[in-house]
Amino acid sequence: MASGTKAANTKVADIKVKRNRWKLFRSNLDMYLLLVPGLAFLLLFKYTPMYGIIIAFQEFNIFTGLSGSEWVGLEQFNKLLHSEEFLQVLINTLLISLYKIVILFPLPIFIALILNEVRRMFFKRAIQTVIYLPHFLSWVIISGLFLNILSPSGGIVNEIIRSFGGAPISFMTDSDMFRSVVVFTAGWKESGWSAIVFIAAIAGIEQEQYEAAAIDGAGRIRQMFSISLPGMLPIIVLMFILRIGNLLEAGTEQILTMYNPLVYATGDVIGTFVYRMGLGQQDYSFSTAVGLFNSLVGFLLIILGNTLSRKFLQRSIW
Amino acid sequence: MRSKSAGDYVLDTSIYLMLTLMGVITLLPFANVLSKAVSEEWAIVSGKVGIFPVGFQLDTMKFVVTSSQFLQALWISVLVAVIGTLLSLLLTALTAYPLSKRQLPGIGVIIVLFIFTMMFNGGIIPNYLLIRELGLIDSLGALIYPALISVFNLLVIKSYFETLPESLEESAKLEGAGNLTILFRIILPLSGPVLATIGLFYAVYFWNDYFNPLLYINSTDLRPLPLYLQDIVMNANASSALDRTADQLMNVPAEGVRSATVIASTVPILLVYPYLQKYFIKGVLIGSVKG
Repeated sequence: MASGTKAANTKVADIKVKRNRWKLFRSNLDMYLLLVPGLAFLLLFKYTPMYGIIIAFQEFNIFTGLSGSEWVGLEQFNKLLHSEEFLQVLINTLLISLYKIVILFPLPIFIALILNEVRRMFFKRAIQTVIYLPHFLSWVIISGLFLNILSPSGGIVNEIIRSFGGAPISFMTDSDMFRSVVVFTAGWKESGWSAIVFIAAIAGIEQEQYEAAAIDGAGRIRQMFSISLPGMLPIIVLMFILRIGNLLEAGTEQILTMYNPLVYATGDVIGTFVYRMGLGQQDYSFSTAVGLFNSLVGFLLIILGNTLSRKFLQRSIW
Repeated sequence: MRSKSAGDYVLDTSIYLMLTLMGVITLLPFANVLSKAVSEEWAIVSGKVGIFPVGFQLDTMKFVVTSSQFLQALWISVLVAVIGTLLSLLLTALTAYPLSKRQLPGIGVIIVLFIFTMMFNGGIIPNYLLIRELGLIDSLGALIYPALISVFNLLVIKSYFETLPESLEESAKLEGAGNLTILFRIILPLSGPVLATIGLFYAVYFWNDYFNPLLYINSTDLRPLPLYLQDIVMNANASSALDRTADQLMNVPAEGVRSATVIASTVPILLVYPYLQKYFIKGVLIGSVKG
């Protein structure tokens, strides 16, 4: 009997909730009206291109459009799997991305740690102002700067090499050097700015912890490793997970503004490859297939990252 | 307070040295290229220009910033940044308000629809074909419309709206105010700092956007600054990108012009940098706490 009443109660409650929701909807129609432009944007500029992905399963002809193009099933993906060029592009992407993670991920953490030790506020502010600056400049400007200083004819870096008796290096056209240039310039541009979240994390650590440690005789280096670093750990883990989610984004815009055919062998990454194949050679279907591969792997990595974040940080990324 | 030990001195000295070195490494490329922009061409070509100008002159700078193509590109960039920022800010705030009312039916689903686009997108080619289909190739709309809402910015404003006390709206509702009135009369006036931060996010995005112009703009008259700069820097032959007669070109050094164009493109950001720094730090911290 008791369970029967309970069921009846839930049913009544259900109807009530539904009625309430309907009432809420009716009395807030103006609120939904506000959503119309945003939803129109979402549909047109975000979801329509997702529908456009179907050309990855066609042999797209720009004159006959989506509906008039021949369906080829998974042929584009078959081509992708057997393309040596794509394999090289994938290797380049993974290598550049991994170099960036291994070398550049710890750098902002280190910067935050040592900035935290600086007591002279003027010095601290000045350094922060300087090292944050490149973040605000577009890659075109940064690439312009580095093409200039790394130039084999008159670039200051090669002048210095020459003055020490070395042979000039064509940084931007030597495929052995190109990845190093990409990793270095990425670090140069973003390491300072990326330190901000870690600086904020350190600022959130209670001062008493440091005082207690000092009384216990812990030196400052010991405090950095036993208090500051563990205090940053949740943010470090979160940032690392987000970074892994972007594994296949090796820096498309950066490389587009820096590279040239001489360094395609080591510098062409998925993003630039899709651009070259799609808009350069107008192989729309194939490059959409490559793009879809990219989006799918990215999606899976983010889902994986969120699962890890929930498990270890009890916190969802979104 | 304990006095500094010898170890502390070593630590402090090495920290100050390392940070100074980082600052210097950041500034050196700028110093070098700036020096080139105001040096004589012979000095640039012979590799004599370090961090100080050799044979100081301002003719190259003048040549670059008075070139009609530079001014045209600057104008396009300003136009896109101003219109883009205003439209984006308006649309984002209007959309964020209903999304901050999770108790309303259907809102949860719509939020998921927005967040999904952060994780998955159509990719370059489908986007390009859409813009083509809409007839937006070679128009400034192609640079503005697809970027009107950044979901990240939308979520930041939404989270801010959620922190505003419910009581503000309830008392206005009792007096018969509709949701629109509440948004424009009460909510938005209280949101100055967050709107300023997000406005700057959008402004810097539109100002620095290189990829969309590269995809969608062919006409030289519609090139924004980043695309113009790319043409100058990447073109070994500066003459094709500059609008002077061959005669004038003979006197205008290519290396110097490239350096001066890089510097001229950097200056607008430098002018507003103090504001950018302040508001961006705020924005990043809101994002990392609430995002």
